[in-house]
Parts: sequence; structure tokens; C-alpha cells
Amino acid sequence: MRSIALALVVAPLLTAAGVADSKLRIVTTTTDLASLTEAVGGDRVAVTSLVPPSFDPEEYQPKPGDVARLKEARLVVKVGLDYDLWFDRLISQAALTHPGARELRRGQPGHVDASAAIATLDVRGASVGPGDGHAHGSGNPHYWLDPKNAEIITGNILEALARVDPAHAGEYEANRLAFLKLLDDRMRDWEAKAGALNGVALIAHHNSWAYFARRFRLDFVGFIEPRPGVPPSPAHLSGLIKTMRERDVRLIVRQPHEPEKNIDFLAQKTKAAVVVLAGSVGATPAAKDYLSLFDANLDALAAAAKARP
Amino acid sequence: MTDALALLWPPFLVALALIGIHAYFGIQVLARGVIFVDLALAQIAALGSTVAFMLGHSMQSGAGYGYSLAFTLVAALLLAFTRTWAGRIPQEALIGIIYVVAAAAAIVLIDRAPQGAEHLKQILTGNILTTGVGDLAPIVPLYLAIGILHFTLRHRLSASDGSSWPWEFVFYATFGIVVTSSVALAGVLLVFSFLIIPAAIGVLYADALARQLAIGWVLGTLASAAGLAVSYFWDLPTGAAMVCTFGAALALAGALYPFLHGDAARAARHVALGLRWSLAAVLVASAILLMAAPRADQPLLDAIESVAAPVRTLYLTAGEAEIYRDAHAHAERYAREAERLNALEARSRAGGEQLDDLLVRRISSFIKSYSEMRKGEEFVKREVRARARERMRWVLGPALLVLGLLIAPGVLTWASASIRKIPAGFPN
Repeated sequence: MRSIALALVVAPLLTAAGVADSKLRIVTTTTDLASLTEAVGGDRVAVTSLVPPSFDPEEYQPKPGDVARLKEARLVVKVGLDYDLWFDRLISQAALTHPGARELRRGQPGHVDASAAIATLDVRGASVGPGDGHAHGSGNPHYWLDPKNAEIITGNILEALARVDPAHAGEYEANRLAFLKLLDDRMRDWEAKAGALNGVALIAHHNSWAYFARRFRLDFVGFIEPRPGVPPSPAHLSGLIKTMRERDVRLIVRQPHEPEKNIDFLAQKTKAAVVVLAGSVGATPAAKDYLSLFDANLDALAAAAKARP
Repeated sequence: MTDALALLWPPFLVALALIGIHAYFGIQVLARGVIFVDLALAQIAALGSTVAFMLGHSMQSGAGYGYSLAFTLVAALLLAFTRTWAGRIPQEALIGIIYVVAAAAAIVLIDRAPQGAEHLKQILTGNILTTGVGDLAPIVPLYLAIGILHFTLRHRLSASDGSSWPWEFVFYATFGIVVTSSVALAGVLLVFSFLIIPAAIGVLYADALARQLAIGWVLGTLASAAGLAVSYFWDLPTGAAMVCTFGAALALAGALYPFLHGDAARAARHVALGLRWSLAAVLVASAILLMAAPRADQPLLDAIESVAAPVRTLYLTAGEAEIYRDAHAHAERYAREAERLNALEARSRAGGEQLDDLLVRRISSFIKSYSEMRKGEEFVKREVRARARERMRWVLGPALLVLGLLIAPGVLTWASASIRKIPAGFPN
């Protein structure tokens, strides 16, 4: 079932890249950026994302085919904030054999760091300090999960598109404004749904939800695995169970790729329900594009909040 | 404390069940000299699950288990023959090859189904802390059955009498079944420790299988309890902490061996001698390092200072000490301020007044500035210390050197003997 859904998401991207010769080819690292780039580029662009949905972009290992994809690209879009560090090296690799790819390197016209001008959260400086935050010195990288940030991300994409394809800049701008209008309409709906979670305490496996929480005013009171890849210690876990009892946490947020065992253990201990949310486009079958990502997540949260005893 | 007990006793029981069977298999594995066979079998089982996953089965389903069992049995057959094949190529090499090829094949396969990558990882990195009593229900009867089977066939399955390949197959097949279920619970690292370390201690101290087993079980139990306690009180990941206590247990058992089996007085003399030489070597090496490169990390001085900070006043002047304290206080303050701002922003997400983007940006840039300022203070601390060490190196270095030479056994008597050898009337 999952693989069918995956095929549905990925197939249009692949076929689009296959047939459209006149189209402007764009490579993004994640599916979220691909969806936003399509929203701005419309019919004039063919977008490919390198990291499959539900795969941790920080651990992605590029494949030879990725170099080939870059060779044909006029524009690349990355998440930045140290989230997809391998991407710059991949571009340099492609530039070695294909001079056209030089235009895609950092600082060149074909390179978009979508995080430019984002108000970053959980910044810890460059120190490897204490605290329960994200390991990223330059801030929590999951900024696309705040739909308001789409305004900035699409702005960055528009600027770059106008640079590499100035003839159609007006069209791109109109596309972006239409998309932002659509987003704005849905925003009211989403905020209404999030209202059901007012005062509901949540925990998550990993701190991927900072921006989402800020926008929809969700109260994440703890994380199971504060440092990615390091299993929780008994003191951390018993502290979390205590917090969950004190704050009456009934919901645990899980992404499809996060390990079930630790979450099920806590759910069993505290009788909390697990709600599966998509951290990026394509991670769950319902999250088909950027807008339906939020539809699906807020529906799931609202349903879980209603069902909770 | 009751919280701790409630959380830790289920993993403790799981550890006991795993040690029960693995200590036995460990002794067999040591006797056969196939130390890494458990890694190969676990990886083959993971490859089986991966294939099942690729074919659309859930990894927890019966089909998933069936595939991993089938793969394990095929691997057991291969392993049963490796002993006969091993001639010019050692058996361990073949086992290593099975391991890397299975691991690589799983990665190649999972590349086509990206959601599977995390599942694959989970098969091999169980977390013993979140195991429950419910996990014992399937494994205890299984382990008991395999234990009884091995007991009844003990003459056929023992490693020593060069058993034929069908019996080798039975051995590796049953071992594969055990490893597959235990790795999913406790992870590769911990299962390897359960397998080899209690068995190694048992083999070290006893010859008969029954005594080896008893020693392995008792020490495995103690090491598990110690590992869980260490993990709780020092706030460490449980599996990794347990592997470390198992390693410490083996080191301790090895260090005690000469005292328990042999001339205790002689062993004590050797230990004292070894300690003196080690201490002397550390002191002399530190002295040379301090004199040659006073600005480099000085592990001995740094360690002493981290335990007893006042030691610093021995070589810092009053003014330097003041600068150092001041920089330290400021660094701490900046760290606290940054944490406070982060906490303020995090609190505002769900409750109270919402901070606008402008304010969030200001908070981020404040935190970045604090972090830079803190780095500056840390630099001051390092610099003050480095300069003082540079100044004092010709006092502190020779002092450490002399201390080291005094501690080194025999150096003093050798030196005084050489002095005495200087003939009388030697012109001064």
C-alpha cells in the first residue's frame, strides 16, 4: 500500500522529467521543496527531489544517478541549516564532469538556500552545549513545517527563477501569489482545527516540530530521543514518564520512519495514543503535496484530540 | 528510586534470559573459534526481513519472520561447511565475508524502498531499556527448548570431536534462531557482549562446561545489574553502558586471575612493579610534553585540574587566576542567558503571548552573539593557562621528570650505583 502511494507521488515527477524537454529542470533535496518549487514554477518547470519521502535527509547517501540529474538542472534548491550538507559536495562532483553544473554551486545564480531569511528556532550557537535541543548549531532545520514560512521559501525560489529565466518572471510571480492566496485560505481552516488541541500536552520522538508547534500553538513537553541516534537513558525515560503523568499527556507524535519500539513502550506505560504525522511531503499517503501535508497532519491531530478520553 | 526499579527490572529479566542461553553458545563459539558468527547470522536474518519487506510483508508479520528464518537456515548450512572448506582461508574470514555481503546486500535492496531503512536499522539496534516482560513470553520457551535439545545432543554438538556437517548445521541453525530474536531485543553490540564476555570469563577460570557456565551466568548477572545501575545514576544510554560494564568485568577477571590461580605474592609484586612503571611513564611523558609543547593539551595537568581546580593556583599568578575566574564566570553567564532566551521562545510557542518573527530573529541573533562571546571567554581561559604553563615549564617539567624517575623501579639504585663507581680522587 505504502509503495503504491510512493509510486503515485514519485511517478509524476519522474515522467515529467522524462518528457518535458522545453521545461526548466530543477533539482531539490527534499519533497517539500519540490512541491513548493512546483507551486511557483507551474508548467514551466520539471522538478526532481533527490531524497525519497520518509527518509532522513541528514543520512542520505547520494547515488550516481543524482549526479546525472544535476547535470541537466538549471536550478537547485536545498533546505540549508546543515540539514542537507552532502548536497554541496554532490554539486561540486557534478561540476567536475559537467561545466554547466558550476552555475549550481553555492553563491552562484542557480543555487537556492531556501532557509535564507527564515526566523530560525532552537539556535544553540556553534557550541556543542547541553540542553535538549536539536544537534544543529545553526538552528532547527524543520522550518518548512510552519506554513507561514512558505512565503519566505517561495520568495527565495521566485527570486532565483526570475534570475535564471527572466522572460517568464511575471508568470512565476503570479503563480506564487496564487499559491500564497490558497495557503492563506487554508490557514484559517488549519488554525481552527489546531484550536481543538489548545492546552493539550504532546510529546514527540524527536524535536522536528518546533516550527509547526509555534505556528499552531501546540505544547510539546518532551522528546523521546533528544539527541538523534543516541538511545534515551533510563533517567531521561523515567523523567519523561513522570512529565507525561503530571501534564496528562495523552498523545505521542510519531513520524512513519521513527522507531516504533520506544514509542510503543511509552504509550503502553502511560496509556497515551500514538498519532502518526508526516514530517515531509509523501511521508504518509495523505500528504501528497505541501498543502495536503498540513491538511493531513491537522486532521490527524484533531481526530486524535477528539478521540482522547 | 522506585521509579528506577519499575523501569529497570524488566530489562534486567530480559538480560538474564539472554545471558542464560548466550553464555552457553559463547563457550561453544569460543571453542570453535568462530567469534563473529553471531554478527554474520544477525545480519543474514536482517537481510531475510529486508527481502520480506521488499515483497510487501510487514517486518513484524509471520511472513517477515519466515523469511528471516529461511535465510538464517541457509546461512547455517553455509557455516556448517565453512569448517570443512577452511584450509588455506581461515574460517573467520569466510564468516566475515558472509557478514559484509549480507549487510551490503540489505543496503542495496533497501535503497529501493526508502521507508525500510529505519526498519532495517531497528532490527539490529534493539533497545534493551524499552523491553518489557511481554518480550519474555516468546523467547523463554524457545531458549529452553533449544537448551534442552543441546543438552540431549551434547556429545554430538560439542566442538572438540570434529563433528560432521549435519551436526554443525544443527548447531548453527539453533544459534541463528537464538541470535535473530535476541538481537531484535538488545541490539548487536549488547548481544555480542552477552555471548562472548561471560563465556570468556568462564573459560578463563574453569575447565568443565558446567563450571564455566555457572561462572558465566553469575558474572553476567552481576555485570548486567552494574550496567543498568550505572546507566541510571549517570544518565547514560543503557545498552552502551552495559557493554562497557561487561568489558570492565572481563578486565577485572583478567587482572584477578594471577592472584587466584598462582602465587599471589608474586602477582602482587608484578602488579606493583607494573603500576610504578606506568606511573613513571605517564609522569616522564607529561614532563617532556610540557617542556616541548606547553601550549598543547596536557592530559595529566588537565585531569588533575578538573578534579582539584585549586591546583591551578600553583602556577597561575594572582592576576592570572583572577582573569581566569572572571572569564569562567562570564562564559557560564552567557551560556545561561542563551538557554534562558531559548526557553523563553520555546514557552511562547504554546502559551502566553506569541512572539512575532522579528522578535524570534532577534532572539536567534542574541543567542548567536552569546555563543560567540562565550567562545571568546573560553579562548581567554585557554590562553591564560597556556601562557602560565609556558612560563612555568622549566620548573614544572623537570619536577615531573624527577618525580617520574624516582618512581620508576630501579632507576634510583642504578643511578647511585653508577655514582659510586666513579673512582675516588676523580678531579672535581
